[in-house]
Amino acid sequence: MNRQPAAFLSSARRPPFPFLRRLLLCSLIVLVGCEKKPAPDTAGAAGSRFFAVSFQTLNNPFFVDLNDGLKQVIDEHGDRLVTLDAQFSSLKQKNDLSDVIEQKPAAIFLNPVNWESVRATLIAARNAKIPVIVVDAPVPDADLVLAQVASDNVAAGRLAAQALGDARPQAKVAILQYSVNKACVDRVAGFTDVLAKSFPGATIIARQDVKGTSEATRPVMRDLLGRFPDLDAVFPINDPGAIGCVSAIDAAGRSGKVLVVTVDGSREAAQFILNGGIHSTSAQFPKKIGSLAAGAAYDHLAGKPVDKEIKVPVTLVTKANAAEFVK
Amino acid sequence: MKNCKAILPLLGAAVLLLAIFRALAPAFLSGSNLLDLAQQISVNAILAFGMTLVILSGGIDLSVGALLALGGTAAAAILPAGGFIAALAAGIGVGALFGLGNGLVTARTRIPPFIVTLATMLVARGCALRFNEGRPMSIALTQETFLALGNSRCAGVPLPAIFMGALFVLGSGLLHRTRYGQHLYAMGGSREAARFTGIGVARVEVIAYVLCGALAGVAGLIQTAQLYSAEPASGQGFELNAIAAAAVGGASFKGGRGTMLGTLLGAIIIGILDKGLNQAGVHFSFQYMVKGAVILAAVGSDVWRRKETR
Repeated sequence: MNRQPAAFLSSARRPPFPFLRRLLLCSLIVLVGCEKKPAPDTAGAAGSRFFAVSFQTLNNPFFVDLNDGLKQVIDEHGDRLVTLDAQFSSLKQKNDLSDVIEQKPAAIFLNPVNWESVRATLIAARNAKIPVIVVDAPVPDADLVLAQVASDNVAAGRLAAQALGDARPQAKVAILQYSVNKACVDRVAGFTDVLAKSFPGATIIARQDVKGTSEATRPVMRDLLGRFPDLDAVFPINDPGAIGCVSAIDAAGRSGKVLVVTVDGSREAAQFILNGGIHSTSAQFPKKIGSLAAGAAYDHLAGKPVDKEIKVPVTLVTKANAAEFVK
Repeated sequence: MKNCKAILPLLGAAVLLLAIFRALAPAFLSGSNLLDLAQQISVNAILAFGMTLVILSGGIDLSVGALLALGGTAAAAILPAGGFIAALAAGIGVGALFGLGNGLVTARTRIPPFIVTLATMLVARGCALRFNEGRPMSIALTQETFLALGNSRCAGVPLPAIFMGALFVLGSGLLHRTRYGQHLYAMGGSREAARFTGIGVARVEVIAYVLCGALAGVAGLIQTAQLYSAEPASGQGFELNAIAAAAVGGASFKGGRGTMLGTLLGAIIIGILDKGLNQAGVHFSFQYMVKGAVILAAVGSDVWRRKETR
């Protein structure tokens, strides 16, 4: 057994950790000496409120833009926004938000990692009488939230399928879905619906679940290209995924042979549409989602009624109009 | 008691952090916030208790995050048909089973535990993703007993925190009051010497990994109940948080040194940091930097103090 710690502690030369002991004592005195101040009245007047938002990830320009939309409106009112990154972990999201709920924000904006696992958080917020506005991806417990603001994701999937079918009606398609997330589930539902109804010649030859990031999508796409030599179209559920696909297609030497259609409308994807690589993306308007969500929160705080479901329309971005989205 | 003195610096660091965050976020020391803290650290602390056993043996277990996901998904799959007890048994059993695999391969071959448990991490993750094609599995609201594991309170204290406390007491008892604990310390100090004194080194090692796996299963059950759903893809990186808690708590990666109390304090310090930085409104990018710096400082000061007294 290692006896060093004991030997050190019994050393008679000097008392152990004199500094730390004094520090400990001082800290304790400080702690005990401070009587508990009442929490600041955060639900009070404009200019003193604070809001919190938790995103499933901030490693995606979509959520950064959405955050900007929120922040812009909240800054205009002179209030404060705390932004939290859940890093795709439901448990981290739950813990982050319970930290925030303890501080009684005026409202919480929530982009759930997993649309089912946020229930405990929603209940905690309701008990603390804090309104929750869900952004981008819906949750099943609609009665626990004030409002849900999202793109029309089914429509986004439909647009993507239409664009793909028009360009390549006999396509052999791979779908890279991310089924933890309801927004992504909806996109795939819209996509498969239109493909089945309007383009009977097209077939879905592979479906795989992958997180919507470039680095996660790239290897999955490489494998699919290896497995299916006749694969000639892919629907990754978002722009970062599409960029991962383009990189995989280039690496496999099949540039131009595989059509990529996706959803998001980020600057990066628009650039790829102009230079070739991505065929189209159904553009969402994350800043708009953010500003509408913040607007709904302020309406509610002012006692005005708020729509339960706010759908933000999407537009198809192709080579024809991509230049507008590169700005 | 020498244990109490050895953890004095950790206690000091925890109190210091509490004081700092008390100044930055006024309601930080309120009762409800501290109870919330206890609930939040429970999953990481339970993983870290298991990790401490393995680290004491001179090993490491990278598979606990994946085992947490697998335990949770296995329980969620069994729950509707098999009921509460069967779900608990499935969650903990599957963790223990993979732990047994880790232990047997580590003890019987010369493959380093880092690699063995890395492989187990991948296999267990794959097994978890077999359930429901990788999609989360929700727990029906009628499974009240199971959901209570993560969400109920007993005398105002969240149940996960009570489980953490109970497992801490059991773990400390195992380390400091049983022959097994003595053997584990002896083996971690010097495997050869332990073998020559007649300790069944392989058996001691295997048991450490089995307990670590079983505790990962327990953590998986608690997480699943807390989130109302089992997520096959969850728990990624949790092994690193557990290792960080053990390291901050003074566990040595050479084996033979570390205590449950230290690990618990390590988990508390990391939990205070997470909570405090959130409540102080620190930008999330700085949170990582601060956390990294604190872990390095904590372990660094520990190493430095030991060297100085040599």
